[in-house]
Amino acid sequence: MSATAGRQGPMSRGTFTVSVVGVGGQGVLRAAAVLAFAAVSAGLQVKSSEIKGMSQRGGSVLSTVRFGPQVFSPVSATADLVIATELLEGLRGLSLLEPGGTIVCAGSTRIPPGAVLRREQPYPGGLAEAAAARGVNLLEIDAEALAREAGNLRTVNSVLLGAASGLLPFSDDDWRRGLAAAVPAKTLEANLRALRLGREATTSQEALL
Amino acid sequence: MEPQLMSGNEAIAHGALRAGAGFACGYPGTPSTEIVETAARLDGIHAQWCVNEKVALEVGVGAALAGVRTVVTMKHVGLNVAADPFMAVALAGVNAGLVVVSADDPGMHSSQNEQDNRVLARFAKIPLLEPTDSQEAYDFLAEAFALSEEFDTPVLLRTTTRIAHGRGLVTPREKLAIEPKPYARDIAKYVMVPANAKRRNHRALQRLEELRARAEVSPLNVLEPGTSDFGIIASGVGYQYAREAFPDAWILKLGFANPLPYGKILELYGQVSRVAVVEELEPFIEDQVRAMGLPAIGKQAIPIEGELDQTIVRRALEPYLEAEPPVRGPVTLPQPPRLAEASPAPAADGAPDLPVRPPVLCPGCPHRAVFSTLRKRRLVPMGDIGCYTLGALAPLLAIDTSLCMGASIGMMAGFNKALGRKAAVGVIGDSTFFHSGITALLDARYNETEGIVVVLDNRTTAMTGQQGHPGTGVHPDSTEGPAIDIVALCQGIGVRCVTADVAEYKALDKLIREEAKLPGLVVIVVQSPCILYQPPAKRTVEVVGPNCNMCGLCLAIGCPAIAPGDDVISILDNCIGCGLCADVCNRDALIMHDAVVAA
Repeated sequence: MSATAGRQGPMSRGTFTVSVVGVGGQGVLRAAAVLAFAAVSAGLQVKSSEIKGMSQRGGSVLSTVRFGPQVFSPVSATADLVIATELLEGLRGLSLLEPGGTIVCAGSTRIPPGAVLRREQPYPGGLAEAAAARGVNLLEIDAEALAREAGNLRTVNSVLLGAASGLLPFSDDDWRRGLAAAVPAKTLEANLRALRLGREATTSQEALL
Repeated sequence: MEPQLMSGNEAIAHGALRAGAGFACGYPGTPSTEIVETAARLDGIHAQWCVNEKVALEVGVGAALAGVRTVVTMKHVGLNVAADPFMAVALAGVNAGLVVVSADDPGMHSSQNEQDNRVLARFAKIPLLEPTDSQEAYDFLAEAFALSEEFDTPVLLRTTTRIAHGRGLVTPREKLAIEPKPYARDIAKYVMVPANAKRRNHRALQRLEELRARAEVSPLNVLEPGTSDFGIIASGVGYQYAREAFPDAWILKLGFANPLPYGKILELYGQVSRVAVVEELEPFIEDQVRAMGLPAIGKQAIPIEGELDQTIVRRALEPYLEAEPPVRGPVTLPQPPRLAEASPAPAADGAPDLPVRPPVLCPGCPHRAVFSTLRKRRLVPMGDIGCYTLGALAPLLAIDTSLCMGASIGMMAGFNKALGRKAAVGVIGDSTFFHSGITALLDARYNETEGIVVVLDNRTTAMTGQQGHPGTGVHPDSTEGPAIDIVALCQGIGVRCVTADVAEYKALDKLIREEAKLPGLVVIVVQSPCILYQPPAKRTVEVVGPNCNMCGLCLAIGCPAIAPGDDVISILDNCIGCGLCADVCNRDALIMHDAVVAA
């Protein structure tokens, strides 16, 4: 697949929708905020929406960011791009994508929910197969390893944003401003390193395909 | 039996007793007051004043859950105070029947406003009964309780000043033989966390259409034939005014007016060419009739404020009888509203049945210790709104109810009072206690209710993200003012109060076990800070393999940092070292260490 192919596609329809999915406490809302601020920096209209009442208590979290020349609805039942900070939530997030959509997933991050801990259900796998069956492009990366390489484990979501950046119309400056608006100042450089590592990982992964 | 002269309020109390009610409570307010006063003079029904209408309804819900038919009374503005439990119990439903009496005061004889509480029955999606005289006030109680239990819903019985304080003859009827309905735990029905509340709301909407079908055939809705080409739809005392003003008219008397029986309305329109709606205050029936595409003489003629009487009604409507009958267009019977899908349809491509991920109590959450001891007791735990509502989820299953903010203590009190023993415990957070738990505690003290209240004092409003409250003195800008001491507050109203700490788990367990056996009312304040707010010193857990037989005691506390391994328990990276698993382990298989154990 070509990560850049999608850049014009969905945007040409007017509004691009990114859904960030993960587990409460993983920083899903902050990752969505980075996207929203980057879109502002890129001169786009932005709306975002999240349900955060239970987000600190380990439940599933979904945050939606929509941007484009003009944005009306703050929500969308479907997304052009899903960024998943955890594997099971990535599997769940596939249902948001139509064929041709893309999911960026921290495939090595697994947080078992209660039913799995209690051995009532297995922790699911098969993301590649499920994505293929749905006709969805998959960019699966070991975000934790790259975050460690960036020097701060808490930059995993920036790695994911970097991996997704090929699909997004944001310049390096936009990303810097987006991150600066949403992460603590002292972690900005580590987050920028993580973003670059994520982007490079995707490029090399595509090179392999 | 000989007819007796009774006010509507007296008739409601006698009618409740006749219908098998064993519990009546409320807060005094004109024109509702005499219902509880009368009930207090009757044998076989417990009557009590509550501290306010919100607490009264929560106490009433507790009594109904305990299995006793219950009537809760208030004036119209009282239902504003009770709106929170009112809207929530409309979704949760009841066990034994629950009737809420709202006595409205059109004309504001003794009120700060006039409001038509029929709209609140519609708002809450519950049945509305409106008696037109003392006999109906007496008789409707039996119907109200029967509807409440059959349709699993509270019922709003609405009166107005002229019904409540008007007198008329009542022929008493044979007392109904009503058995108590033992309480059965049903977390999915009584714990209004979002997932459950969504299902209950869906059910309430389905129930509404079932109730409408019942209203179509209810003996409370009567079409009285007339001899003129004029029909009137009326409810409450408006019926009496209309009947006297227009003896020749057809009258549809709606004793069961929500949900509106569309078929009955059409039946009247089939008989006459002119129809008026006679109702005090809001155009409650009229608006719905007009939405059917039917012309109606309503609030353009009949005053929308104050009381009516037969003269007002006659003078208002007479001019319309001389005018040409209105032209009728096509009638549209309103379709039931479309409901959302009960649950998302599975993906078309057969996506696997993914494990759900409900929110959970954090690893190391101090509430977990309280729940792991509560679940061993035979007490019914009445819960409240906050992080600790998550104690209702598997595997803890340590909260039976969560209705609305502050409801736990009132529900505990009503449950225990109805059963006459210490059967329930109220579990409430510190912020929720300040929100509206205090009033319910005052009520339990005033009514000498036996019971246990556990205040989970984690020193913050945790669920919403660590906000301050009166117990911490912290303001939104992080400045600090006076902090109010829960223990002193409880003692100040004469309630025995003891403190506990989850760090001393065995002592906490013993305390709750012993308090369950003692008479009276006690508040146990568990003083253990939220781990997100005040992270404890890090400790680690060592699993002593040979001692672990995977008995499951530690798994039962529902900690997301504990998982069964292949042979022994495994402690995950998200463990913060609270030590509860080691406290509940009785084989010394889990040992706490202050420092990280070398691998």
